[in-house]
Amino acid sequence: MTPPVVELSGVSKTYGGVTALAGVDLVVRRGELLAVVGPSGSGKSTLLNLMGTLSRPSCGTVRIDGHAVQELSDRELSALRASTIGFVFQSFHLAPGVPAIDAVADGLLYGGRPRGERRRLAERALRRMGLGHRLHNAPHQLSGGEKQRVAIARAVLGDPPLLLADEPTGALDSRSGAAVMDLLHELHRAGTTVVVITHDRDIAASLPREVRIRDGRVERDSGVPVGGAVGG
Amino acid sequence: MSTAAPSRQRVARPRPARLSAVDVIRVGGSGLRSRPVRVFLSALGIAIGIAAMIGVVGISTSSQEELDRKLDALGTNLLTAGPGQSFGGDQAHLPDEAVGMVAAADAVESVSAVGRVSAEVYRNDHVPEEQTGGIGVYAARTDLPRTVGAQVVDGRWLDAANARYPCVVLGARAAAHLGVHRADPGTRVWLGDRWFTVVGVLAPNELVPELDSAALVGWPVARQELGFDGYATTVYTRAEESAVGDLQGVLGATVNPEHPNEVQVSRPSDALAAKQATDDALSGLLLGLGAVALLVGGVGVANTMVISVLERRAEIGLRRSLGATHGQIRTQFLCESLLLSALGGLGGVVLGIAVTAGYAGYQGWPTLVPLWATVGGVAATLVIGGLAGFYPAVRASRLPPTEALAAG
Repeated sequence: MTPPVVELSGVSKTYGGVTALAGVDLVVRRGELLAVVGPSGSGKSTLLNLMGTLSRPSCGTVRIDGHAVQELSDRELSALRASTIGFVFQSFHLAPGVPAIDAVADGLLYGGRPRGERRRLAERALRRMGLGHRLHNAPHQLSGGEKQRVAIARAVLGDPPLLLADEPTGALDSRSGAAVMDLLHELHRAGTTVVVITHDRDIAASLPREVRIRDGRVERDSGVPVGGAVGG
Repeated sequence: MSTAAPSRQRVARPRPARLSAVDVIRVGGSGLRSRPVRVFLSALGIAIGIAAMIGVVGISTSSQEELDRKLDALGTNLLTAGPGQSFGGDQAHLPDEAVGMVAAADAVESVSAVGRVSAEVYRNDHVPEEQTGGIGVYAARTDLPRTVGAQVVDGRWLDAANARYPCVVLGARAAAHLGVHRADPGTRVWLGDRWFTVVGVLAPNELVPELDSAALVGWPVARQELGFDGYATTVYTRAEESAVGDLQGVLGATVNPEHPNEVQVSRPSDALAAKQATDDALSGLLLGLGAVALLVGGVGVANTMVISVLERRAEIGLRRSLGATHGQIRTQFLCESLLLSALGGLGGVVLGIAVTAGYAGYQGWPTLVPLWATVGGVAATLVIGGLAGFYPAVRASRLPPTEALAAG
């Protein structure tokens, strides 16, 4: 049986006395599409960082694709991110002056594949995103929606089991935002596990599962999967 | 580990992949490509330091090479002997038979002499007496050119015939001062209150620069017409190359057996080499200045790298999220620093060679930049780049990914 993609049990995170997360249990099964929603300061960014193995919990266990984060060294966590997790950020994080195809190809830079293959995969991914005519354009020549599609292409280039999208529509107008959400739905249909972190309740409500966070706790989880024996 | 359920144990621990060398350089260079002006300016700092050092070494080597070639051409086997002070403090003079004594000595190839004549030479008889222009009048033996290696550029040298008549050969500077450009029967100078015909003009001679500002007349005519006492004031001796050192030790006693301590013996090629040695001291100082410039350049690179790390926190965060390890981030910034310095180093080497070639060309020297200076210069920049980039690279690699991402 394949393990859940994300498995948090009793996870807390404190920053110098301030509690950002307090005893969160959350299981994300393979192939799910869910929203983590909450107002700013609710702890949803902290949750994203923990799921993304960018930080470690103060207590509790985090398992990503079966790997217990606390047992892995920093190097091993890096390798886990390279092979398992794709990130999409609100601010795109595209380096100025770098053509789209190279930016996307960098998604596999730390995965140990040769450059030619990375670029070939990047071109295919961009064409799939409808950006075949933008391969050699730098970020400043792209619209906001196009930039976010480039960033998504980079995140899913290596077909990671888990895609974490942090406010993916936050910097976009509603039309571009809708297009980006369509794209995430499409990736979900193709089998990718997608977690969208957002403060937008409408977006959250449009997804199959909605996890509401408030004051560092899970306030409501619309779809605790059947057989989710974790927590209690 | 003990808390992990047995079913989890079979999950292999993730292993980071290695970046290929090409990828390391490409990623290291990516930070430079996006900021060309800053890269140019900080590389320029390094380049100036390296160029200064290469230039100093190159110019000094080229000048040494020029000296070596010149000494090869002039020969280092010329010795001069002249009268010093007598024991009582009076001006001594060499004995009459000095030239003959030297000629008889072992290992002597040729010998000749000049004698100072107390006459002055002027362009014509209207020039005021005190305007001698520092030109000395000497009686010269007819075999002088062969011994000292003097070249006649115009006219001819004194011979047994014209040495008896009022004929004069001028050194290069003396000719220029007296306004003489050609030696022909119509060219005359006012020498010792009578007209002398200029029969020859000499080329400049670095080994015996005193001849450049000399007016040389025949031994007989000097005695008959100019009140010359007949004593040689400088005896020039060409010795066999292997015996020059030995001869230098005994030349005083050979020239003047009764008072060898009254004879001053010198080797003109030593004077040229000594001049080079004083240049070397100056070169050392300039080399030090170049090193300081290089150090300042290195500080500039360190500064650029620190700012670069601060500005690119978001990029660092992104790379960490894409799976870069601590080490890979550290390598990226170290590589960037090394590339930046190497760029400056190579530019500096090219600039330094250009400066050397320009200066050497202007001086008419051969251009010579030693390989060790070029290789050493580039190696020094790499060391500097490594030192300058180390701290910023470590700082970049220690940046927590969440904090780095928050900066974007």
